[in-house]
Order: sequence, then structure tokens, then C-alpha cells
Amino acid sequence: MRIRVFALLLAVVALLSGCGYNQIQINDEAVNAAWSEVLNQYKRRADLIPNLVAVVQGYAAHEKEVLTKVTEARASVAGLKATPELVNDEAAFAKFQKAQAELGGALARLLVVSENYPQLKADANFRDLQAQLEGTENRIAVARNRYIKAVQDYNVSVRTFPNSLTAMAMSWKTKANFTVEDEKAISAPPTIKFDAPAAK
Amino acid sequence: MNGLARIWLLGCLILPGLAWGEAPVAIPALSAQVTDLTATLAVDQIASLETSLAKIEQDKGAQVAILLLPTTQPETIEQFGIRLAEAWKLGRWRVNDGVIVIVAKDDHRARIEVGRALEGAIPDVVAKRIVAETLAPRLKADDYAGGLQATVAALATAIGGEALPPPAAQQAAGAAEDNKFAFLFLALIFGAVLRSLLGLVGALLAAVVAGWLAWSIFASWLAALIAAAITLLFSYARGGGRGWSAGGSGGSFGGGFSGSTGGGGFSGGGGEFGGGGASGNW
Repeated sequence: MRIRVFALLLAVVALLSGCGYNQIQINDEAVNAAWSEVLNQYKRRADLIPNLVAVVQGYAAHEKEVLTKVTEARASVAGLKATPELVNDEAAFAKFQKAQAELGGALARLLVVSENYPQLKADANFRDLQAQLEGTENRIAVARNRYIKAVQDYNVSVRTFPNSLTAMAMSWKTKANFTVEDEKAISAPPTIKFDAPAAK
Repeated sequence: MNGLARIWLLGCLILPGLAWGEAPVAIPALSAQVTDLTATLAVDQIASLETSLAKIEQDKGAQVAILLLPTTQPETIEQFGIRLAEAWKLGRWRVNDGVIVIVAKDDHRARIEVGRALEGAIPDVVAKRIVAETLAPRLKADDYAGGLQATVAALATAIGGEALPPPAAQQAAGAAEDNKFAFLFLALIFGAVLRSLLGLVGALLAAVVAGWLAWSIFASWLAALIAAAITLLFSYARGGGRGWSAGGSGGSFGGGFSGSTGGGGFSGGGGEFGGGGASGNW
């Protein structure tokens, strides 16, 4: 009796892995881990902003427009619920990405504007924050790339043949990935205004 | 469904196109701590750098490597750096204590790529300072060996302050213990199989084997008795076949344990990088 149950269990396990059940589970978990890392790094960037804004304000208080933009963008990012479930919801994912891209753009403009203030650039605090921000942006890029690869693996495993039947039976769908427009916005250089106030 | 199929086919066409659109710089093979593709450093300078780097690994277990190359174009040094880090896998497996110093000579750009475990010892701010204040001024003065030597010294100081697991030489004993633990676990599982085949005799046999293993690991009769009792209980427990589903494929731990530098060769131990570190111009 015991042996028969054991054999049945073995057969079920073998069949399930034959249909790609296990493979999809492994890839799904990899996507979750990659996404958590992306969220983690975005959070890290958001946490840097209050200090950065405070330092810049000390030297360039009249750059109100840029500073407000950064603060607003950060608020709109904080207002979005960044949950792991986001990857299963295309619309929410796109919204989240848009908000993060806006924050990235606002930060890039802030750094460009700060080039006009030699005293600000010489401030040790500002230089440290800038190094942290650069490092965080790079970590975000790495985390996003790893997420793209993980989603690629997952989507392939859900769509290729025998697995696609399992996925259909369990109603698993492909996951949202970073879109091309998004990449374009990020790789585009920030606009530089030459009518900005001259350096002090 | 038709639309989905079309998008997928389009993806098949586009993906290889993206990969081959611009050929990025090939990742050089890792054979020593210092890889100089620009022929900038003299042989004795490389040797002295390698001695300092080997000393860091001996003292702390962390792996630090240096790469000098002409250019990272068309990629930025950050993009190239993470690709390099993923290929070289410096640092010990699961400890992730690797560091790579990259100098792109013609780009006039340098980067310190920091492994996950060392992001606390060498945060971005410290990495930036080392690049901007230690490395860049000397590179500007064409003193490549001096700049790298000073950078290595600064990295050694930073890594020295971090509590890392002891280096490999002190860990060899630990690996053998791990094997025995695996056997102990196997004995636990085979207890159930033996009992279903041989009844009480099989269960007792498994218990004795588990007891002996536990005694050889812990050198304690109490531990041996406990292990034997657990094995006996486990093999008699109803539904003893549970725990079999744990045998899924173990993923891709391709790194291996080749972290030591014995015998002159040098290879990464399987450490991971998350994009930490900093870059700078000169």
C-alpha cells in the first residue's frame, strides 16, 4: 500500500515536471526575486531625495521649479503601491514605470542645474549624495536588466509548447516587462536650458 | 491569440537583431589578478600588484582583480563593468566579496565594481573617493602602477575593517562536516525506505547508521542517541514519504569553489555583484 502510494506520488511529480510545472514555478520565483530587487533600489533612490533637495536648497534656493519637480515626482512615486503583485497587472506596472521615469528625469535635471553652482559642487555633503545617487541609478539599471531577463525566461517557459498547456490550465499569464518607450525616455539626454541663471 | 502569436514571432526576429546590433567589447579571460590589455604596466609592477592582491585574499578571503583595457565603447564603463563582474564571478560563492578595478585607458575613465557583501565596507561614497582622490590624480600624471598600488592599498584598508567569513584554508574542515550532514539527512530518509522493506530490522539499521554519523560529527554520545531516536521515529512516522518533493533541480550554481589561488591560477569563486561601486574620469 505504502509502496503504491509512493509510486503514484513519483509518477505525479514526474508528470508535473514533464509539463513544465516546476520550471514555471522556478522562473516565477526568479521573477519575484528580481522584481523585489528593482523595488528595493527604487526605494533606495527615493530615500536619498530629501537630503539631496535639502543640500541643493542651501545653495540654490531660487531653482524652485526644478526642486519642486523632484519633490512632486517623489511624492507621486511614494503614492503608488509598490507591491510584488504589480508585475501581474500591465496597467499598474506601466503607471509605476512612468512615475519612476519622471522621477529619474527630474533628478537628472536637478544634477544638470547644480553644475551652475560651484559652491554646491564643492560641498562635501553634496558630492557624497551625488556619488550615492550615481551608484543607485546604476544599481537600478542592473536590477532592471536582471528583471528583464527573468521575465523573458518566465514568459518563454509559459508560452513554449508543453508548458503552455500547464499555464493555460492554471491560467498563468505572461508578466509585464519594461517597454521600449520607457527605455527611450531613459536613454534620451535631459534638456539643458542655457537661459539658466549664471553661476554665482 | 493571433495577435499574441504575431508579437511573439516579431520578438523572435528582433531579439537576435538587438544582440548583434553593436558588438560590445569581449570579456577577457580571467587568469591572474591583474589583466593588462594595454601593455601599460611592466612585468615587475604587475607582479608587485598581484602580491598585494593575493595578500588581501589570504588575509580576508576577498578577491580583488584589476583590468586595464583600451576602451569599453560602445558600452559605458558601468554596463561593461557589470557584464565583466557577471562573467568573472569574483568573490567567494554566497559570500560575494569580490572587487574589480577597471581602467579604460583611452576613455580616460575608471571604475571600482564592488561585490554585494562589500557594499558596506566600500560604499559608493568611499569607492568614489578612492577613484577621484587616489586613482585619478596619479593616472593623470601617467603613473598607472602607482595609482593602482595606492588604490589596492585603500581597498585593502576598507576590506580589512569588514567582518567576513575566514579565508578558504581555514574552511576546508567545514566542507567535510557539511558532507556528513548530508549523509545524516540521507540516513533519515533511507530509514523510511528500509523500514518499509525490512520492517523493524531496517529501521534499527538506519538508526544505528545515523547514530554513528552523528557521533562522528559531534563527538558526543548524546547527539548520537538523539540522531538515532529521530531516525527511528521518522521511519515509523505515518506518511514517511514526505520530504521527497524537495529534490527539484538545484538551479545554476555554476560558480564552483575554485576561489583559492593555489598553483598560480586565478579564477572567480562565484560571487555576485549588484552594480555597486563608483566611476570617475581623469
